[in-house]
Amino acid sequence: MRGRVVAFVLTFGLVAAPARAVVTGEIYGPGSESFRIAVSPLKDLGGGGTLGAEFARILSRDLELSGYFKLLDPKTFVEDPQTSGITADAIDFTGWAAIGAQALVKGGVSAHGPGVTVEVRLFDVPARKDVPQVGRRFTGGRADVPRMAHKTADAILAYLTGEPGPFDSAIAFVSNRGGRLKDIYLLTFDREDPVRLTDERSIVGAPEWRPDGRALLFRSYREHFPYLYEIDLGSHQVRKLVPGPVPVLNGAWSPDGSRLLVTRDRGGDANIDLLDRAGGLLRHVTDHWAIDVSPSWSPDGRHFVFCSSRTGAPQIYVGDVDGGPLRRISTTGSYNTSPAWSPKGDHIAYTTRTGGAFQIVVVDADGANPHVITSAGSNEDPAWSPDGRYLVFSSTRGGRHHLVMADRDGRSQHELTRGAADDTSPAWSPRRE
Amino acid sequence: MSRAVRTWTAIGAALLLLPLAGACKKKGPQPGAGAGAGAGAGLGEEGLGGSSLERARRGLAPEEDGILKDVHFAFDKYDLDSEARAILDRNADWLRQNSRAKIELEGHCDDRGTIEYNLALGAKRAKAVKDYLVGLGIEAERISTISYGEELPLCREETESCWARNRRVHAVILGK
Repeated sequence: MRGRVVAFVLTFGLVAAPARAVVTGEIYGPGSESFRIAVSPLKDLGGGGTLGAEFARILSRDLELSGYFKLLDPKTFVEDPQTSGITADAIDFTGWAAIGAQALVKGGVSAHGPGVTVEVRLFDVPARKDVPQVGRRFTGGRADVPRMAHKTADAILAYLTGEPGPFDSAIAFVSNRGGRLKDIYLLTFDREDPVRLTDERSIVGAPEWRPDGRALLFRSYREHFPYLYEIDLGSHQVRKLVPGPVPVLNGAWSPDGSRLLVTRDRGGDANIDLLDRAGGLLRHVTDHWAIDVSPSWSPDGRHFVFCSSRTGAPQIYVGDVDGGPLRRISTTGSYNTSPAWSPKGDHIAYTTRTGGAFQIVVVDADGANPHVITSAGSNEDPAWSPDGRYLVFSSTRGGRHHLVMADRDGRSQHELTRGAADDTSPAWSPRRE
Repeated sequence: MSRAVRTWTAIGAALLLLPLAGACKKKGPQPGAGAGAGAGAGLGEEGLGGSSLERARRGLAPEEDGILKDVHFAFDKYDLDSEARAILDRNADWLRQNSRAKIELEGHCDDRGTIEYNLALGAKRAKAVKDYLVGLGIEAERISTISYGEELPLCREETESCWARNRRVHAVILGK
């Protein structure tokens, strides 16, 4: 697997229009950390203050998390970002090539009152040219600078791999941090400290994004029994999503946002129901005395994957949302739970128990080619990035449960949260608009 | 004979705990609209011990045992072994002698495995206990069930003995 070319060999311009400059070299899969890139702090073009350094720090971290890049040490940089040029005609490409840079990011920032303008370019160092597909001018407020950096990272990955990166997004998760019981928190890739979203004073779980990215559903015990609620990310208003007295353990929106699959606990028998947008029953998708739980939609909205103990131990099954036979896809291990279908449709991830610990498995959508991608600590509850390239899950590798991001082959793994609390049940948002 | 003695001991324990239960009741919110929380429940006896979630809200550990003893399970199992059935036989005696008492059965799990599966497993455990008590003649209307899965453990050590304590069904007395 190592060294596999996952994207395109760019040397001869197979992706970009041949007339344009293209970054020379090959880019290998996440975990290769092989594509040598230098990210220079943005030049202060007036009033920029520390914004240029902040932009470079956030962009560098995104590129590092992606697993494709070797970020060159700023101490080796050959040009002073504040005095050197930011266009191809004024850059010392020979010097950058001498420190090994295949690509270089440079740009400028100016700020007037609350307004900020950022201009950023990617340069192909061996070809001594800029890459117009990546070059961007952003305008916004000071608080928008992190998103400008994320959008630049996503554009660099789009150009080099053919698929935009996932960094202009957020991860929702559950934590008991701050001495509270449990609440939902939001983490973006520009901060170490997540932002608390809910104020439940109860136990919450199972956050899932609405496909438009503007609301999250979650489980809460706020009314004694567990039910599903939805919080609007703009107003922070919370409403009960599924009416009725029957406890609801978790739920997931269909990719088009028109239907819900939920797990309901009818007096000790957990089964999966298909509901309309208002929470009305469309059909009982499963009806079995065993445990059926944790449905996840295929991206075409026709199939679902879930966990069932119908053979005596939890295993992973796939079925059609509108009926028909179920097909077991987990073939190894005696305890497999919490499946998640990739938004690209081609893979499913789930949790498996092995050797007394729990690990993340990635399989093809038909169950073939199981691949355990974790080994340190216990790892649970995988969720996919919007580009289907990465997973986020909770891991005890550092002691408490923290969120870890990994590529789907498991070669590049990074802890996203720290501290003395337990961070679990991550859900990765769609890309922001 | 020994059974009668045990019953009297249990009721004695209940009387001793009355002032404490009353104090708890004033501080915390009510256990909620659980199916068993009937109107006109006796002052100071409703919420004895409190649900595990109510106790967590007050910063208290979940109650272990109580007047009605906890029953325990094997990993990823919800069937009742002979020890569990013996405990439930005694709990049924108490329920017969306190015929107005309603209970809520809380299903709990150890922290191994994923959260949603364990919620469903805790629900199975509570159901197994309810079915057994109903089989002994206790009215189903007096028993509600709820699962907390692995959310409210008694202990947090990664040891067999701690896991075993956490795999339990705990009975909360809602009122008499």
